Amino acid sequence: MAEPILKVNSVTKCFGGLTAVDDVSFSVEKGEIVGLIGPNGAGKTTLFNVISGYYAPTKGNVIFQGNDISGKPPYDLAGVGIGRTFQVVKPFAGLTVLENVTIASFLKHPKKADAERHAWQVLETTGLADRANVSAAGLTLAGRKRLEISKALALEPSFLLLDEVVAGLNPTEADRTVELIMKLKAQGLTILIVEHIMRVIMNISDRLVVLNFGKKIAEGTPSEVSSDPHVVQAYFGEEAA
Amino acid sequence: MKNRGATILAIIGAALLILPLVVHDTFVLRVLTEGVMWIGLAIAFDVIAGYTGYLNFGHGAFFGIGAYTIGILMMQAHLPFWAALPAGGVAAGIVALIAGIPTLRLKGAYFAIATWALSRAIQQLALNMEMTGGPDGMRLEAFLNPQFFYYLMLITVGATFAILWYLLERAPFGLKLKAIREDEEGAKALGLNPTKLKMQSFILSALPTGILGGIYAYWITFIDPSSTLGDLVSDQAVVMVVFGGMGTLFGPALGAILIFAFKTIFWAYLSDFQLLYLIILGALIAISVIFIPNGLWGTLVKRKAGATRPEQKAEPASEPAALSAVAAPEEGN
Ligand SMILES: Nc1ncnc2c1ncn2[C@@H]1O[C@H](COP(=O)(O)OP(=O)(O)OP(=O)(O)O)[C@@H](O)[C@H]1O
Ligand SMILES: [Mg+2]
Repeated sequence: MAEPILKVNSVTKCFGGLTAVDDVSFSVEKGEIVGLIGPNGAGKTTLFNVISGYYAPTKGNVIFQGNDISGKPPYDLAGVGIGRTFQVVKPFAGLTVLENVTIASFLKHPKKADAERHAWQVLETTGLADRANVSAAGLTLAGRKRLEISKALALEPSFLLLDEVVAGLNPTEADRTVELIMKLKAQGLTILIVEHIMRVIMNISDRLVVLNFGKKIAEGTPSEVSSDPHVVQAYFGEEAA
Repeated sequence: MKNRGATILAIIGAALLILPLVVHDTFVLRVLTEGVMWIGLAIAFDVIAGYTGYLNFGHGAFFGIGAYTIGILMMQAHLPFWAALPAGGVAAGIVALIAGIPTLRLKGAYFAIATWALSRAIQQLALNMEMTGGPDGMRLEAFLNPQFFYYLMLITVGATFAILWYLLERAPFGLKLKAIREDEEGAKALGLNPTKLKMQSFILSALPTGILGGIYAYWITFIDPSSTLGDLVSDQAVVMVVFGGMGTLFGPALGAILIFAFKTIFWAYLSDFQLLYLIILGALIAISVIFIPNGLWGTLVKRKAGATRPEQKAEPASEPAALSAVAAPEEGN
């Protein structure tokens, strides 16, 4: 088997006395969709922040395409092909949707006209082209989530981290986003996705990694994981196990 | 729209160039020279404050540093004006670099307070050093040619405007700065290095300000810590930009013209009431922030519809779900 695109090696991240991510290891193969699940506060977003360079791991390291990227700043990691979205969306509220995406396009298209053209293409793909000239502050939550994806895609990443891009959408919107994610996978993008909605995550993931209280408690295909007693216990409590 | 804007600019530019040939009154020329200078100070201030979102309450320090650099180089190192002038900009740029390292890590009010404190410290330095003449200030060799200074100021500010216009409105740099202003953490994920961009923006703001300070020193021929390093330069720049419209170039220019015209008229008729002028400036900031948060320019000139969608490849009529992104009541965050 080829070298995995991402390897998380015994990563621990502490905040003072709190161990938010505790000795977690797993890897992601090229072209895969891996779902990262776990109850609230399990450490999913913290792990995303470590992988995307927002936090340096307290222990362990992260290998991306064969290079140790732990502790490298996010803007360098964007340059090597890691795109991410934020669970708490971060639109540039005072700018238009097109400007938001154009800024991300500068990474691969340093000329403004080229970046703008590329941003339009991305917006056509994500279904936001109709809203290109409105202020990002004027988007609904669904629109803002799609803007998050658009910005990450405009980086033309090889690896995409999606943090709850479906949660909070109505079923129609959710289906559209799932459709988009499957389209991206078909284009060869590797995706690590955090999502609480089981219907979605079970359907789109090739494999799942389950966190609870910062620790990895299970890993495997969706069917393996859903029948794992540790996972059932983490999600439904002692009695159900 | 674009062409009309260019035409208006060309007419204003031509009028400003011809003016000294028509107006021979030295007082009027002097007022115009200073007015043009304020346009330059306001747009330079806006680079860091409006575009990047870092309200620099010590902008005046760059002006004073430029003024003193030219003064010292001309009077003590006996350099000619043209050799000293670029050094004024460079000195201000270097101070921005050094001051930026600790202060640009701060956000919001903390940055404003830190830059204000630093500018006070620089004023104290000028008050206590021998090289600067201390509180007595410094007299420069006089070159009494109002036309020369009017044109020099006009060309410098015109060039500053053109360069800033290119960098901030045409090149990617301006949008990148706005990304920093809107969300520094979010910008990092898109490949932007906030530390680097903020530093570039601070230096870009300081350079022309130092040069303007240098021209001012040679023009007025006398500088002291209160006239060039006092609060007034920073305070006026803040009011002009906030009142005119932050994060644009025309807004601060408009703000500079209006505030400076007001100040000139006010001081001409009520010269005993400088305190009252400061009170009015303060009130004006408050009123602008509350009633016209986008400033005069942002309120008068609504942003045009923006970029047009490029030709689309034959695609099925846009799917209905696309509408779900349309603005509707907030759904929370
Ligand atoms: N910057 C921080 N400082 C201190 N504690 C933090 C910080 N970020 C996260 N935590 C804590 O770390 C733990 C893991 O949080 P994290 O946000 O990673 O969970 P999560 O799995 O993403 O949860 P959710 O499903 O609610 O998004 C929580 O207890 C949280 O309070
Ligand atoms: Mg989370």
